[in-house]
Amino acid sequence: MAGVADIIEWARQQVIARVPAADLDQRDPDYIRDQLPGTWLLAVLYFRADVRGLDRIPADGPVLLVGNHSGGNVPADTFVFTLAFCSYFGVERPFYQLAHNLVVAYPALRWLRKFGAVAANPDNARLALEAGAAVLVYPGGDYEVCRPSWQRHVIDFGGRKGFVRLAREAGVPIVPVASVGGQETALFLGRGQWLARLLMVDRVLRLKSVPISLALPWGLNIGDLLGHIPLPAKIVIEVQDPIEVDGDDQAVYDEVVASLQAGVGRLAGERRFPVIG
Amino acid sequence: MRVERRLVVNADRNAVWKVLSDPACYPSFLAYLERWETITEGPPGVGSRYTVLWKIGPVPVGGIAEVVEFDKARDLAWINITGVTQRGRVRLRDAGPGRTLVTLRLSYHSDGGVLGLIADRVAARQVGRSLAESLKNLRSLVEF
Repeated sequence: MAGVADIIEWARQQVIARVPAADLDQRDPDYIRDQLPGTWLLAVLYFRADVRGLDRIPADGPVLLVGNHSGGNVPADTFVFTLAFCSYFGVERPFYQLAHNLVVAYPALRWLRKFGAVAANPDNARLALEAGAAVLVYPGGDYEVCRPSWQRHVIDFGGRKGFVRLAREAGVPIVPVASVGGQETALFLGRGQWLARLLMVDRVLRLKSVPISLALPWGLNIGDLLGHIPLPAKIVIEVQDPIEVDGDDQAVYDEVVASLQAGVGRLAGERRFPVIG
Repeated sequence: MRVERRLVVNADRNAVWKVLSDPACYPSFLAYLERWETITEGPPGVGSRYTVLWKIGPVPVGGIAEVVEFDKARDLAWINITGVTQRGRVRLRDAGPGRTLVTLRLSYHSDGGVLGLIADRVAARQVGRSLAESLKNLRSLVEF
């Protein structure tokens, strides 16, 4: 078994070695400005998006934006929120998104780094916050983004509280960002955590889930590694009131989750039909 | 892309200008306004800057606008120095005794090549609606 463990560790190191070090200078405001019209069209015509409450985000200075993550490997709500943030505050305001190692290491997704995507780890987040940037994090990550569609309105970070410690150490407020619609872009049947363990990608690739879904154009879609064509689900995002990090970690974590759950519940209550909105 | 809407109001130019030259009045009549903040200090005039964002489609669109023309009771023009490239103008002209023709004009251009052109065209309808509603709101303010 030592041999297998060695191979897993070797493979893990190979993946880690390919994750680019965070370079905040890779964010390119002019590139973002060029891409905003296309993103805006997608948001308007395809996802019929609606973003509210951006005025609740502090007008300047570092802030940790904490969202619920939806949509498998094609998280439409992330694109819509990035568009909204850059439109509202201008592309000049530094804004970074923490993404899974595989996302920033995947050569075909290199352009995401120009939008401000950096590998999700505490060092990168701290670096961005110390530089005065707004940082978007999805604590639920690959665990939450792959939840079954019938749990689409449930906030589930899987107990990950690292974001609270991060905000406390950086001395920045947490602003919850609630969204609905993303988990209706495909029919997610399950996280496939047993499959992740079986394939050992939980140890090699830090993937806790290998989602099983019904999605275009594949039909039965296992892993979603190639992404999918999202259904044109209506995406609605609402920024919640800022939360100061002045209690213990569990209390702040509970407050953030409660705020997000209330926001998602409110937005879900406005929906009459899945996908259509 | 250039969008223009006109409206005749039952008030003289000075009465309309009194509203237009007061930055505090803008949130009262600009339709779909999402954010309005005065950046510069002092009385409004050429060089005054404001953060102006309209909700066009799903998200607020705009940026920092700088007043480039401030001709009392005649013309007020601005350009955007951040955000979507934009020029705007309000023209006041006599339309008979005690009446004023108000023209609200917006020229804008998104970056991004062909997608930018398509986005400009798609947005034009809502921009036009926003201008028309703003003029109606202005009329209700000056005619009370």
